Amino acid sequence: MNNRLKVLRAERDWSQAHLATELGVSRQTVNALETGRYDPSLPLAFKIARLFQMPIESIFSDEE
Amino acid sequence: MAGKRKLIIQSVIGCGLVMLAAFIMGGVLAYLEVKGQDVTSSAGALWAVGGFAAVTMLISLWVGFKWMSSIDEAAQEAHKWAWYWGGSGGMAVGGVLVIMASLPQAAAIHIPAWYSERSDPAAYAATGAFAMLTLMLIGYGVAWAWWWLGRR
Repeated sequence: MNNRLKVLRAERDWSQAHLATELGVSRQTVNALETGRYDPSLPLAFKIARLFQMPIESIFSDEE
Repeated sequence: MAGKRKLIIQSVIGCGLVMLAAFIMGGVLAYLEVKGQDVTSSAGALWAVGGFAAVTMLISLWVGFKWMSSIDEAAQEAHKWAWYWGGSGGMAVGGVLVIMASLPQAAAIHIPAWYSERSDPAAYAATGAFAMLTLMLIGYGVAWAWWWLGRR
């Protein structure tokens, strides 16, 4: 699954550590999410969407 | 993060207390042995150590539960994946040894006694269980590292 997490984080000039703190996860988890090697659970995906104030489908996509 | 730090400190203190309790228990048993009581064939001592081990394992499970609750979902997934694949891989290696050990030819193999020069069935059963556990934990460690290395 692809996502725009890295772009959205860069737009806000946030570090991975800051985003991790906001989401309540580790920096390693944020890195795994950004590289698309770990797909978040629905609760975490909703949390991410709320944090960026965007719909889930505009952050995550299942297109190759 | 603060919760995890607190849990780590509590776990270290808990391990220290368990080690201290084991040391005291060993000391008491050694004292009784010196005083002429046959502790090594005492059923009471066996059950006392068994009870101590059961309490230790229950505390370990509780710490494991608290630990899993304190880490995030990716870290939990890494542990679950590692336990399934690494543990299964280790068990598969152990399974080969179990099948080989069941053959009549294995009766001629001399397996060294691993503690107190014991070569009785209970000691060998413990050896087998310990060997299987070790293989599973090695597999678990490798799989856990593999999971995170693939997501760096």
